Amino acid sequence: MAQPPLSQRIQRLEREWGVRLFERTSRRVSITKGGTLLLEEARQLLAQTEALTATARRLSDGRSGLLRAALPPDIAGETIAVLLDGLRERTPDVELELHELSTAEQLLRLASHELDVAVLHHPCDVAGLELAPVLRHELGVVLPRDAPTADLETVPLAALSGHDLILFPRALAPAVHDEILTTCARHGYTPPAVRNGHGPSFTRGLLLSSRAVAFAPLGAHPGRDPDLTWRPLTGAPLAWRHSAAWPRGRGDAAVRAFAETVTEALGRTAAGPDLPAGPLHLRPSSEYWI
Amino acid sequence: MTTNPHRTRIEAAFAEAGVTGWLHARDIDSGAQVDAGADHSVVTASVHKLPLLVALHREAEAGRLDLTERTHCPPTGRTPGPTGLAAMLDEAVLSLRDAAYLMVSVSDNTAADLLLERVGLDSVNAATRELGLTRTRALHTFAEFLAALRADVGPEGPSALADPQVVARLRALDPRRSNHSTPRDMTRLLASVWRDEAANPAHCAAMRRLLGLQVWPHRMASGFPFDDVHVAGKTGSAPTLRNEVGVVEYPDGGRYAVAVFTRAGSPAAALPAADAVIGTAARLAVEALRSR
Repeated sequence: MAQPPLSQRIQRLEREWGVRLFERTSRRVSITKGGTLLLEEARQLLAQTEALTATARRLSDGRSGLLRAALPPDIAGETIAVLLDGLRERTPDVELELHELSTAEQLLRLASHELDVAVLHHPCDVAGLELAPVLRHELGVVLPRDAPTADLETVPLAALSGHDLILFPRALAPAVHDEILTTCARHGYTPPAVRNGHGPSFTRGLLLSSRAVAFAPLGAHPGRDPDLTWRPLTGAPLAWRHSAAWPRGRGDAAVRAFAETVTEALGRTAAGPDLPAGPLHLRPSSEYWI
Repeated sequence: MTTNPHRTRIEAAFAEAGVTGWLHARDIDSGAQVDAGADHSVVTASVHKLPLLVALHREAEAGRLDLTERTHCPPTGRTPGPTGLAAMLDEAVLSLRDAAYLMVSVSDNTAADLLLERVGLDSVNAATRELGLTRTRALHTFAEFLAALRADVGPEGPSALADPQVVARLRALDPRRSNHSTPRDMTRLLASVWRDEAANPAHCAAMRRLLGLQVWPHRMASGFPFDDVHVAGKTGSAPTLRNEVGVVEYPDGGRYAVAVFTRAGSPAAALPAADAVIGTAARLAVEALRSR
């Protein structure tokens, strides 16, 4: 949209709602706090509209060839490329509608049948779902190259103590977020502060400016970045664990083809199948005994 | 009567704790209610020891059993569990009402099945049906519940719960294939115990005494850290599930039945925030009822 009509529309919205969306000076325009809050809701509204349109389209065409699928934002680009190539080969007749969605959002849409299949980040609430095998990508730590721990071949989590941790916003996958912090604490690392960071350049800025650290799988680390380095964690205590999932009883041929293809694509870079954790001590208040 | 602002706050508390939750609360005297998923079908797990307790007392009232009757608990073949007779090693003999004490105070699975053997599943279901609980049903004993859980988890034991594929296939977590109820049904049952309607006043008083002797401080009671407020209840748990139904009594006479059922995203056994949010959600609901 051209600039003047866009500005006029924004100003009309601001008048209608009685909320300032942008701060304007002669040199720059920045979004207000109110604007940020409304943006979040507007995005949700748009996402719901898209899902509604997709369902309606599927119904009106009487097509079963549309597959509504979602991937989490942290899936590597190469994996997505392998997935899409594989799907084109296996199910050329299926029209794929692919969304990038957080695990929390995927669970809601699987439950409301707005999605046919998704790639979940575990752990999460899997009630009512069928799952493909879980694949594990071990996480290492991204550090400023001149950090003292950057010289170690593998970094114990305890060696990170004193550093803030940059982690994805909790709302995207609360149980994954909590599990990472619990595992850090279990291994002697309780970060003084946990900062929300998501995009790579934002994360990079925080890493460099505040002596913070972040976790990333091998391959996602900024190999050519002159200022940052990636090191494996000693004993591989942390991992991204993904699997395809679909509502129980709704795994048709297209869903299964997607699940198999994505499992293969993830498997190319995975450390192997998911391994159960060590011993688990149930406490008396658990009430059940197995 | 749905109170939406309360529901939003309660659901935000559940989300913050990493769980999905369903709650119903009712003022036992005025009948006012707070509904946050009150009619969702939920797995009761050990919460079903409450309907069993009610059935036991109704059978006693009808003269079909005597609560001081001795029951014999052999050392072998016990329903497994981490507390009470289930954790003890030697033969025991105790009265039915003392077995009920162990079942309610520490969720003793062996004591529960001793009583269930005496009372029968049909009587438990008859009791809930007669008290108007249309969506509550016991399908199996506690031994059967645990056996299905053990079979689905597999030979690796509890560490297999780290595998999401294992959690997804647990029959014990499916309300259609497990003992089940709804939050609204459970507050109805509690209200009938507190209003002396579930049995005669002496029997209801005995049930209230046992529910007040429950030892766990980490769930509903944690939401009411007030020395002048009394909390009585019964918990229930299974992998990812944490439940409690109870009654909160204030010194001004206000009494509120609250039922909270949750399912965590994480299969971890120790999730203190998921336990505590049962108390937080219950307090939000009780505050809403008291502010009317």
